[in-house]
Amino acid sequence: MFIKGLITTGTIFLLFSFIRIWVLQDRLPEYLPQPFYQIPTNPINNDTVQLGRLLFYDNILSVNNTVSCASCHSPFNAFAHTDHDLSHGVFDSIGTRNAPGLFNLAWQEEFMWDGAIHHIEAQALAPLHDQREMGSSINDLIEKLQKSDFYKVEFLKVYKDSIINSSRALKALAAFELSLVSFDSKYDKMRGGRASFTAQEKAGYVLFKNHCSRCHKEPLFSSNTYEDNGLPIDSLLNDMGREVVSGRKEDRYKFNVPTLRNLSFTYPYMHDGRFKKLRQVLDHYGTIDNQVLMRNSGIKAPIFLSLDDGADLVSFLLTLNDKSFVFNPDNAFPKKLLPKTKDK
Amino acid sequence: MFFYSSLTCATDKTELVFFLFKDSVISTPIRLSSDDSLSVLRFYISDLQITKNKKVLWKDSVRHRLIDFEKGSFNQKSARILFPLNVLGDHVSFLLGVGEKTAARGIGEGDLDPIKGMYWTWQSGYINFKMEGVSSNSPSRKNKFLLHLGGYKKTLNTNQKVSLSIRNPDINISFDLNKFLYEINFKERHTIMSPCQAAVDLSLLAKACFYVH
Repeated sequence: MFIKGLITTGTIFLLFSFIRIWVLQDRLPEYLPQPFYQIPTNPINNDTVQLGRLLFYDNILSVNNTVSCASCHSPFNAFAHTDHDLSHGVFDSIGTRNAPGLFNLAWQEEFMWDGAIHHIEAQALAPLHDQREMGSSINDLIEKLQKSDFYKVEFLKVYKDSIINSSRALKALAAFELSLVSFDSKYDKMRGGRASFTAQEKAGYVLFKNHCSRCHKEPLFSSNTYEDNGLPIDSLLNDMGREVVSGRKEDRYKFNVPTLRNLSFTYPYMHDGRFKKLRQVLDHYGTIDNQVLMRNSGIKAPIFLSLDDGADLVSFLLTLNDKSFVFNPDNAFPKKLLPKTKDK
Repeated sequence: MFFYSSLTCATDKTELVFFLFKDSVISTPIRLSSDDSLSVLRFYISDLQITKNKKVLWKDSVRHRLIDFEKGSFNQKSARILFPLNVLGDHVSFLLGVGEKTAARGIGEGDLDPIKGMYWTWQSGYINFKMEGVSSNSPSRKNKFLLHLGGYKKTLNTNQKVSLSIRNPDINISFDLNKFLYEINFKERHTIMSPCQAAVDLSLLAKACFYVH
């Protein structure tokens, strides 16, 4: 009887696991373009992804063990940094740009607002070494990880030997980041025939296609390009954008076109986080002055929308929110990292 | 295998020896006065091979090698990799740098590990050639010069193919440090830390400084 019960429980468990794997592997809609990177399947049972998740949430990455990747890329904000225009790092240093959301990165060709990083495995080196972010170095991090009994076990689990090096650590971080996939918004449900838009959302969708979709291309709502969207220059930051990377004057003030997915969670907006509300963003596009438009801007004329049209457009943009991604516990802080207390 | 000159190894086979610079060259430096010094000299060589009539006779089993001189090692005046060979070719060639494909890929291991200090953290890509030091001609802070030559994309590619003709089965490749330092105008080019035309120019100069003697 006991054995029978055990078998039944086992079968149910196995069945559940298969369904879970099937759901996770099947979560990519067919209307997506080919990604640049392979997306880890079944992330919750993928040891490399889980090692990357530990590293992502661990303060050990910063020079004084106070800041992790998640400090500026919080899961509840679709891995962006809400309520800070410019992100901050160790010793309360303030950076120069707003931390973008992290999801669907496999479709991103280059990383950072100016596209300085050409490969996802190399990305973590930038915040790790930046004095205003983690203020550490890959050398210090690897030394700390090699001394950590906790990570010795975790690396062994993934790589079947005890070698801890930068390639392994960076690949694990990349695997976790690539596993952050968000395609379960109302928009995706509509495209998959599982939901339908309201009249207002439909009207907003038409406005979006007419005015925004050239740069924010469906279905990713980004375009792997760099554009000057006509923002007045912040003279204190004087951020030259893409020009710093390319060395080309025509790239001055150009920044990566960000995705519009999960907008409700990733505010404030723009590379320097200057707008807190979507309404301010629409106002900006409606009032760009001609002098700025002369500046090699990606926008040729102000996009003027009436108040009603603006409301319709926003109602469409809200269909790009993916709550099941943002509140997915599989992506959240791993309990393994909680300090062990004596009372336990 | 990596040997310093003090550890010169005798082998009964003929050798391909990769010198950094000749003893005689470093002992009479033209550009480095007593106040001047080199503190870092590191560069990658890739796809080292020996050919005869364009046919590959021998290929280094290791794709990318980092030639690295720590500060103290400059006293040794040379560093060398010894390859026991038994081929007689007419050319020895290698790439100065890691090559475009390796640069475009992710993070490598071994000599390509970013802990070697040859990877730009703020901008992706390997530094192919790194030289740092002090020159009284450099107007920068503390007369330092920092030459980090990298970049792999079409217009600003600093990977340079070096091909040298050989007549002897014993091959000694040297880097003429004198020529390199002599031809740099440190007044104008003292700090290079991103892909740029100056980096391409200096990588071409570095290419021209290798010779067989």
